[in-house]
Amino acid sequence: MTRVVRALVAAVGIAAFPFVLGACELGGLHPIFPNPVSPNGQDIFTTYLWISVPAIIIFIGVEAALLWVVLRYRRSRQPANYVPPQVHGNTTIEVVWTIIPLIIVLGIAGYSFNTLLKDFQPITNAQMEVTISGHQFGWDYDYENGVVVHQEGTLAGEVTPFVVPTNTLVKLRFRGTDVIHSWWVPAISGKTDAVPGYDNFSWLKIDQVGTWHGECAELCGVGHATMQINVQAMNQGDFDSWMNQKKAALASPSPSK
Amino acid sequence: MATTALPRPKAYDDTFFKPISLWLTTTDHKLIGIMYMVTGVLSFVIGGIFALIVRLQLSQPNLKVVDPETYNQLISAHGVTMIFFFVTIFLTGIANYMVPIMVGARDMAFPRVNLLGFWLVPVSIILYYSGFFTGGALNAGWTGYAPLTEKAYNSHSLGVDFWALSIIVWAISGIMASTNFLTTIVALRAPGMRFSRLPLFVWAQISTSILLLVVGAPLAAAMILLEFDRQLGTQFFTTAGRPVLYQHLFWFFGHPEVYIMILPGFGMISEVIPVFARKPIFGYMSMVAALFGIVFLSMTVWAHHMFTVGMNVYVEGFFMLMTMLIAVPTGIKFFNWIATTWWGSVEFTVPMKFAFGFLATFLIGGLTGIYLASVPVDTQLHQSYYVVAHLHYVLFGGSVFTIMAGIYYWFPKITGRMLGHKLGEWNFWTLFIGFNGTFLIMHTLGLEGMPRRIATYANEAWAATNLIITLSSFLIAFSVALLLVNIVRSWAHGEIAGDDPWKANTLEWATSSPPPPYNFERVPPVRSFMPVRDLRESGELVESEPLPAHA
Repeated sequence: MTRVVRALVAAVGIAAFPFVLGACELGGLHPIFPNPVSPNGQDIFTTYLWISVPAIIIFIGVEAALLWVVLRYRRSRQPANYVPPQVHGNTTIEVVWTIIPLIIVLGIAGYSFNTLLKDFQPITNAQMEVTISGHQFGWDYDYENGVVVHQEGTLAGEVTPFVVPTNTLVKLRFRGTDVIHSWWVPAISGKTDAVPGYDNFSWLKIDQVGTWHGECAELCGVGHATMQINVQAMNQGDFDSWMNQKKAALASPSPSK
Repeated sequence: MATTALPRPKAYDDTFFKPISLWLTTTDHKLIGIMYMVTGVLSFVIGGIFALIVRLQLSQPNLKVVDPETYNQLISAHGVTMIFFFVTIFLTGIANYMVPIMVGARDMAFPRVNLLGFWLVPVSIILYYSGFFTGGALNAGWTGYAPLTEKAYNSHSLGVDFWALSIIVWAISGIMASTNFLTTIVALRAPGMRFSRLPLFVWAQISTSILLLVVGAPLAAAMILLEFDRQLGTQFFTTAGRPVLYQHLFWFFGHPEVYIMILPGFGMISEVIPVFARKPIFGYMSMVAALFGIVFLSMTVWAHHMFTVGMNVYVEGFFMLMTMLIAVPTGIKFFNWIATTWWGSVEFTVPMKFAFGFLATFLIGGLTGIYLASVPVDTQLHQSYYVVAHLHYVLFGGSVFTIMAGIYYWFPKITGRMLGHKLGEWNFWTLFIGFNGTFLIMHTLGLEGMPRRIATYANEAWAATNLIITLSSFLIAFSVALLLVNIVRSWAHGEIAGDDPWKANTLEWATSSPPPPYNFERVPPVRSFMPVRDLRESGELVESEPLPAHA
């Protein structure tokens, strides 16, 4: 009886894993990262899903094999005085389970490398460029026309948004000014580190109006958790008027910033 | 009376309570091994307490159990303690105890180096914790990335300096131990103990020692350069220098360190599984080859920790490919272990339960490793709770479960007494459930966007998951408490084990429990990689005479 219960507990625990990684929503959480709104983020998402296919198959296969051993080959299930066959190995089967994983990982590596070449090189056809520099503890976004958005850290997440127009290919240039920070908005794309000493690059092209949250992902000191990020995508008209407002403010600086 | 065999002179005693002068001066690899292991377990408890405070702080949004500076010190101390002072040290201890016996030697090749190497460990540990008394210990994570550890951003205390010194001492100790292991295994094998007959645990120790010999020095170099920066004003890793160089040096050690912590575990699993399945290990030679495949590959993958720093895509592609290739030898080992149990007569003793717990959970760590190796996916998952989940599946589901299997398997040999079975069962199930409850759902937190190492968070959507994690982490603590109770109780009152309670295969089971200081009265003949099984089958295995209670 207890053995059956144990087997059931084990089976439930094992079965839970693919479901957790599956697309189901649990209590407001998206177990797979939030729906990406930029093509590079979408490619990451797709790569993640494709890796999941062999991963889940291997997971279920190996756990099922383990469960089978637990249920079928335990000593109490074997005949009394059962002497197992003294097998020392089998070259054919060992070659097979070397070659098949090799092919699988080469496939995953090839697919990933393709995405890497496509999305992770500095782009040259950007419609706009913004320099993002990280400091303890906040971000500055320099639009290259004198306009700079200062995003000072606060834990609540209600920081001044970094505003970009929708459907515009924006090149992001990252600079570190003190320690290493990492700019991460999960809904847009992966992380890019802002390292002192050289420029690092990423890009975004957001396809819808909205606001997305993120935060610094590299431990950077006591205020690390406050380095929140807000990215707001506006359509081109709204963005232009926002930009004009900023430029006007720049031309006549008010004494109270 | 005079005609019967003389009782063995009891020149040693088998209790833990020996004169302190003996503990301080012994060169016996077994006593040194026990001291390593006790140090490791103490570190496990200390590191666990750090983790529990961290979990309390994160259990709900916007908590202030500790302030952010203390929090950063706690996560750093948790990582350093668990990695440097618990897992590596404990594994060195178990190898120190077992490797000489398993190869049929009387002691390590350099007993006094062994003594010195061990005593550097407490020095290293005390150096690290001394940082707390200088205004704060290391607060930049166990990786201590520059420039955050540089004087410009970290001048309020000597925590970083004490950490760097501690790690330098630790690396020297590790290099001593590795040299000693390799020499012992090469030079002191018993007659008949060819390399092709070495137990797989010994092979694992060979590969681990090679790794530590290669990567220990770069680690020390990174720490020395960091100290130059901090105390002599050089500019190696400062904002004006090359901060990423630090990451290269650190991870050239840091990634192989993962294997230093898991390969001995693989070795222990390779000992435990055949014994309880009553079958020889499946594919002995491919197991050895896989170990060396991992050794080689693990030194070519370090930059996979750095996919977000902005490297050339072809360089990233290289590190991605090499990282994924590690799945192949690891897969070979997995399949061989499963094949060993297939058609077996598998006895689920507590060590075997832990071995299966290891197989079931380490698999998840291995699979998430493939996701993390893929550069595009890694940029999303890197430095998030997904990585925390992954590394705990590898280090806890991997190393700790194998260590638990090793403890339950070898405790009878080390103390002469069995660990309590019932407590052991409870220990396993609470650990298995607590571990998965803690770390399985951490994957979703990371996918959802929660970075690691944040002192607190405002996002209400993460609250429920974090609460479950915190509750489960206390189940782990309960389980570790059970282990400690079991060890203390069984050491004094456990059932007498006898020489060979498991009907095992390797040489340590051919001597008494615990073994005499010289290990063997007569080194048994070695005719295959399962010498004790050969002796048992040919009827040559003689149970050593029961020791008189008080000689």
